[in-house]
Amino acid sequence: MKGTNLGEFEELLLLIVLILEEDAYVLRIREEINTQVNRSISMGALHTTLARLEKKEFLKSEMAGATQERGGRRKRIYELTAAGKAALNEVKELRANLWDQVPEFSLKFTYA
Amino acid sequence: MPERDTIAPSRFSLKLIRRLCKKELAEELEGNLQEYHATLQNSSFKKLKYWYQVLNYLRPSTLKSTNIKFNPMFNFNPVLTFRNLLRHKSTSFINIFGFTLGLVASIFLYFYIFSELSYDSFHKDKDQIYRAVRLSGINGSPYSIGVSSGPYARALKNDFPEDISAVTRAQPDNGLVSFGEKKFFEEKLLFADANFFEFFSFPLSTGNPGDVLKDANSAVLTKSAAQKYFGDQNPLGQIIEVDNRYQFTVTGIMSDFPAKSSLEFDMVFSLQIYERFEWFSDWWNNGLITYVNIPTPEQANRVIGQLPGFMDKYFGEDFEKSGTRVDLTLEPLSDLYFNNETRYDFVRHGDLDSIFILALVAISILFIACFNYVNLSIAQSFMRAKEVGVRKVLGVPRFRLVSQFLGESLMILFFSVLLSVGICHLLNPVFNSSFGLDVVLDWTDSNVLVFFFGLVVTVLITSGIYPAVLLSSFKPISVLKGSKLAAGKNVGLRKGLVILQFSISIFLIVATFLISAQTDFLNSKDLGFDKEAVVVLDLNNSEIRTEMQSFKDRLLANSNVKMVSGMSGEPGGFHDASGFIISGIEGTNKMRTVFADRDYLELFGIEMVAGRNFSNEISSDEENVMIFNEKAVKDMGLNPEDLVGRKATMPGWGIDNSPIIGVVKDFHFKSLKDEIEPLAIISNGRPRRLAIKVNEQDIANTLLFIDDTYKAVAPNFPISYQFLDQNLERLYEDELKQAKVFTAFSGISILLACLGIFGLAAYSAQQRQKELGIRKVLGATPKQIINLISREFIILVLIATAIASPTVWYFIKGWLGNFAYRIDIPDYWYIFVLGGLIAVVIALLTIIVKTYRAAVSDPTQSIRNE
Repeated sequence: MKGTNLGEFEELLLLIVLILEEDAYVLRIREEINTQVNRSISMGALHTTLARLEKKEFLKSEMAGATQERGGRRKRIYELTAAGKAALNEVKELRANLWDQVPEFSLKFTYA
Repeated sequence: MPERDTIAPSRFSLKLIRRLCKKELAEELEGNLQEYHATLQNSSFKKLKYWYQVLNYLRPSTLKSTNIKFNPMFNFNPVLTFRNLLRHKSTSFINIFGFTLGLVASIFLYFYIFSELSYDSFHKDKDQIYRAVRLSGINGSPYSIGVSSGPYARALKNDFPEDISAVTRAQPDNGLVSFGEKKFFEEKLLFADANFFEFFSFPLSTGNPGDVLKDANSAVLTKSAAQKYFGDQNPLGQIIEVDNRYQFTVTGIMSDFPAKSSLEFDMVFSLQIYERFEWFSDWWNNGLITYVNIPTPEQANRVIGQLPGFMDKYFGEDFEKSGTRVDLTLEPLSDLYFNNETRYDFVRHGDLDSIFILALVAISILFIACFNYVNLSIAQSFMRAKEVGVRKVLGVPRFRLVSQFLGESLMILFFSVLLSVGICHLLNPVFNSSFGLDVVLDWTDSNVLVFFFGLVVTVLITSGIYPAVLLSSFKPISVLKGSKLAAGKNVGLRKGLVILQFSISIFLIVATFLISAQTDFLNSKDLGFDKEAVVVLDLNNSEIRTEMQSFKDRLLANSNVKMVSGMSGEPGGFHDASGFIISGIEGTNKMRTVFADRDYLELFGIEMVAGRNFSNEISSDEENVMIFNEKAVKDMGLNPEDLVGRKATMPGWGIDNSPIIGVVKDFHFKSLKDEIEPLAIISNGRPRRLAIKVNEQDIANTLLFIDDTYKAVAPNFPISYQFLDQNLERLYEDELKQAKVFTAFSGISILLACLGIFGLAAYSAQQRQKELGIRKVLGATPKQIINLISREFIILVLIATAIASPTVWYFIKGWLGNFAYRIDIPDYWYIFVLGGLIAVVIALLTIIVKTYRAAVSDPTQSIRNE
């Protein structure tokens, strides 16, 4: 089921939202993705994915933190829900489990 | 806070977001965008980056719900339109194809007319500029002359200092221009006064309008001319040579013409080099164009009123001596381009007749297409009656139905517009070359939008309103009950439109035939002289003129060169006018003149009526001996025999009491548009052009020989020659162009009209399917069935012939009025019959193709189901 699986980009977003804590709104997220993962994403594309994560109930959001440079408008601050955190943990465990099973030399030696 | 304004994002972008995106997102998105905009302050492509983000925000997750309350029953529904278009493929094709053709014709026409009307419109003072035009006449028929002489400008400025604010002169010329090794014979040279660039608004890319022509040896080149001679070098300060004699320094470069100009040139030189010649200050030496600038129309009228006095002041004595007078008037620059009646005119002219005809034809075709649409929509309407009924039952108001149907028309029209724009681009070169035009499709002009809007609205109203109103008027009860629609009242309109379409087509067909009959007549008419195998060579430089005799002798040494004769102008070419005083006759007779050597008449095979031809044996025949044509004799009221032996004087020419030795039969030395005028042929040894009669066999080699001989005699100048018969054909260029336009467009119009009845016949057959089936059961043959359906259409076509014939008669009669020598329309009665016959046959074929299937189909198929 699509609803329970985390996509690669979704996982990335959840992690970044966690890292940014109270500052997790679109512009900061975008900046963070740009500096940390070196990917350039439009705000619109980010909005789509964030909205999807909200729909899957991995994220929740609230409006707060109006500033002068936003023309007095509030930001939408994202926060992980319990389900979101659980999903991240699950993914991490799954990965770790899989990593453990990889024979060491198959990764080290390539014939390419 | 003013600084904030500079960093605020565009209000439009925020408004866009607010309008299109979900309400609950607006605050966040706008805030994000504004903040983002602020971060961009120091980066490049700010705007682009910002708008990228704005547009990126417009996506399904942010946009307002796409699940709009949209009931397909109640609104214009494109899907439904598409389905309808696809279901009736042939009708859709006919409609779109028809509109496209009509639009293509209209679009071309728009650009053509627009460019024609824009001539000379770029001059800043275009409403204040006038050209001085001289008025003269031959025996009662007046004509105007475009050229004047050097002294006019200064005298006008002196005599009307209050009204005339500026004058300038321009002398078109041709000549050999050379720069180092590069030598070209240039056709479009201009010698102009120093204030030329201030007077007119020809744009200079380098140089100051007031200074560029100040020095006597200065020259201004157009960009393309400069490129031709200097390539990538800086043209300023370079020295070019004209006719291997005069040196000019390039002082300015002109940008390419911003719009079309009646005065065309590639290079402008200072007119001052002419001022030192004595002939330049002679009032009678007409060869240049005088322009004046008069600030207001009232002042202009005042000046025009005083011009007769002006002429008397400077010419009084000459007028008295010669017994004739010449007057002067002012022609506004805005009238100049279309006034192509002026003689001896070196500026470019357009032809209003051609424009008018093109407009007429394009509009006709557009209307034929509109009528097709109306007719087919009406014919089709019964098929959509149920749809209308159901919609009405569901409570759709009538105006909604009308807008649905108009929307469908608009969509068809929209396809056609797209198609026609593409086709215009593809066909533009073909169109230009086949009609001899240079239409440029410039879509960037703001008027183009207005034009397209107007065009679409016009077509929509003509073709969409009636079907929409008709379709929406059906009574739901009657259509849903399945009772037959009373189509009776529309039949009249449909028939009327078919008649109109075919009238237009037949009009164009008959007009095409008549116009080509007239052009054939012009080309085949016996002109009274022999025009075949005559090469006309320009004697346009001093080298060839001084070596004339030896050139002539060398040519004649070749057996393929039959005769050579020099003259001032060949038949069909330039013939100046002058006054003559004949001994024993009161007053002065004005006549056209040709100065020619003694072989002229023999070379052209012109017959004598009385007296004798010039003779090479008689040495006194060499200069100033005259022969007149019959028309001149008739105007004098004499018999040819009476005239021979009298003496003629040409006042102002220094020709006194020259003997008149003969009279020739009239020949058409001018275009057949004009009546034959009185002509004097005067023997003279200083020709401007040379006629060379060659052997019709092996013309190519003879031309090579002429070319070589010319090179040997005048090595520094290129040769320039034409064939006489081609020159004569060129006199009727406009008429040939019109004939071509008519041929092409009458084909298109008959095609469209036939497509229309093709569609109508199809519906007729379909609607009467059951009737036809029963008729077949009762023993009707396919032939009878076809007869039945085609009869009604054929009658319409016959009525159309009856309407079109008198109209085209009237039109062509007016058109033939341009020609002094023309065909007699009653002689061509069969063309009218032929036109109608063509229309009937094509219509019949179309109907048969379409109804054949209905006629041979199995009747059980059509009457089986109820």
